[in-house]
Amino acid sequence: MSASDLTPPEAARWAARSGLPLAPDRHAEVAATADHIHAVVSLLRELDFGDAPPAAAYRVEGEPYDAAV
Amino acid sequence: MQPYELTVAEAAEAVRTRTVSPVELVNSALERIARVQPRLRAFTAVTADRARATARQAETELAEGIHRGPLHGIPAGLKDLIDVAGLPTTASSRVRNGHRAQTDSTVAARLASAGTALVGKTHTHEFAYGLTTPQTVNAWHPERVAGGSSGGSAVAVAAGAAAFALGTDTGGSIRVPAALNGVVGLKPTYGLVPRHGVTSLAWSLDHVGPLTRTVEDAALVLAALVGHEPRDPASTPAPAVDYRPGPGTDLTGLRVGVPGNYYFDHVDPEVEAAVRRAIGRLEELGARLVDVEIPMTRYIRATQWGLMVPEATAYHERTLREVPDLYGTDVRVLLEAGELLSAGDYLRAQRARTLMRQAWQDMLEAVDLIAAPTVPLTAVNVGRTSVTWGDGSVESVPEAYVRLSAPANLTGVPSLSVPVGLDAAGLPIGMQLMGRPFGEAALLRAGHAYERTGTALGPPPEPAA
Repeated sequence: MSASDLTPPEAARWAARSGLPLAPDRHAEVAATADHIHAVVSLLRELDFGDAPPAAAYRVEGEPYDAAV
Repeated sequence: MQPYELTVAEAAEAVRTRTVSPVELVNSALERIARVQPRLRAFTAVTADRARATARQAETELAEGIHRGPLHGIPAGLKDLIDVAGLPTTASSRVRNGHRAQTDSTVAARLASAGTALVGKTHTHEFAYGLTTPQTVNAWHPERVAGGSSGGSAVAVAAGAAAFALGTDTGGSIRVPAALNGVVGLKPTYGLVPRHGVTSLAWSLDHVGPLTRTVEDAALVLAALVGHEPRDPASTPAPAVDYRPGPGTDLTGLRVGVPGNYYFDHVDPEVEAAVRRAIGRLEELGARLVDVEIPMTRYIRATQWGLMVPEATAYHERTLREVPDLYGTDVRVLLEAGELLSAGDYLRAQRARTLMRQAWQDMLEAVDLIAAPTVPLTAVNVGRTSVTWGDGSVESVPEAYVRLSAPANLTGVPSLSVPVGLDAAGLPIGMQLMGRPFGEAALLRAGHAYERTGTALGPPPEPAA
């Protein structure tokens, strides 16, 4: 476990801040998965992005939304 | 030969010349489904009455001289993330219990307009968030994974239960199961095929495309799907291109990039050998092989995760809070953990994609397409979780399956997976051809030429009665 890893109670608190209350039996598994994802994604901090904008695109005309999972 | 065994092109010709009727085609496919579905479980629902009604209508129209084109009366399956009015879109998830689509997705409407007969909805890894499709069995071996997430579509097409099917692809979900089941899979250029009415996994990476038994069939289906759809913000106009490849196999002048890094690292030796043989076949057909170096490979996985994880979590925000217990365990924890990724991480991934897309554009100036393995290993045994490579490194099975296909999702370039043989265990091997944005025609031409040299795998083995 690295210094930046989340403990299970920290994962629960962060999730709650995101509006996702986690049952106690979820804390450890979510913390471990979140730490793994974090370790993978953090590699991008090595990059010098210069002026590169995000690739996210949208059309200024807008479009209607479709709801319901 | 039974009607269900016909390719789309063969069936279209048979319908056009009135040697086979749409009703015969659809009945044959439905009989085939009845035979293989208990064993393969490719479908979430079989829409027999609907298919028969469409076939009868097609027959009436053809008798009146109305011919809607090569898909008229052709039996097809749709991945069960794709809305069809009046049918549930289950996403192979209990979360969708009671769901019923109000309207057709754009692709379902376009296929209906082309006269396609929908024989059923096909299984997906739950909400497309995985690479195995555990409900479905590999068409070539009962103890091997189907691949995913469009596993049901690939297995249905391989088994002859549909002449073609549609799938979706966010990190490889059309091409991975296509490779593992010995069929053709096309992930088109980002935005070319509209996604309106298709359940999303990650908006900025999602694509819809065909799974077929031949490259020519992929071209026929693609042509029916393209065209601008204002309800999909990424949708682009259809290029003025005839996708159907010509009969010739001469590839003189085609520059085929062969990666010197990444795509042949940590690849099963049998897979590598089969793909290199297939590349050699392209060279024999006149293509010129060019060494290429894949840029920014260190950041592919990080960028894919940095985009997909938070986007998927965002899509499921409400249901994850309302009915978390209805998700499968593997999907649920990914969605929950996705809540803990920061906006900074997501933006870094978006900016990394900007750099990657530019670097790929530069690389693709020197070649017309790139040839590489689709997946680094063939279909693994159900339940196997990891693979150990020759250097002792260990990789999870889903990570291995997505590793070589994800770059085309990040960069948006088209990628076509074609079967290139079997390994010693009798399992299919796939090669992917990646091209420039909107360069589908070049991929289809090369894939078709390769196929015309007699590389078809034929149907999967039937179990002993």
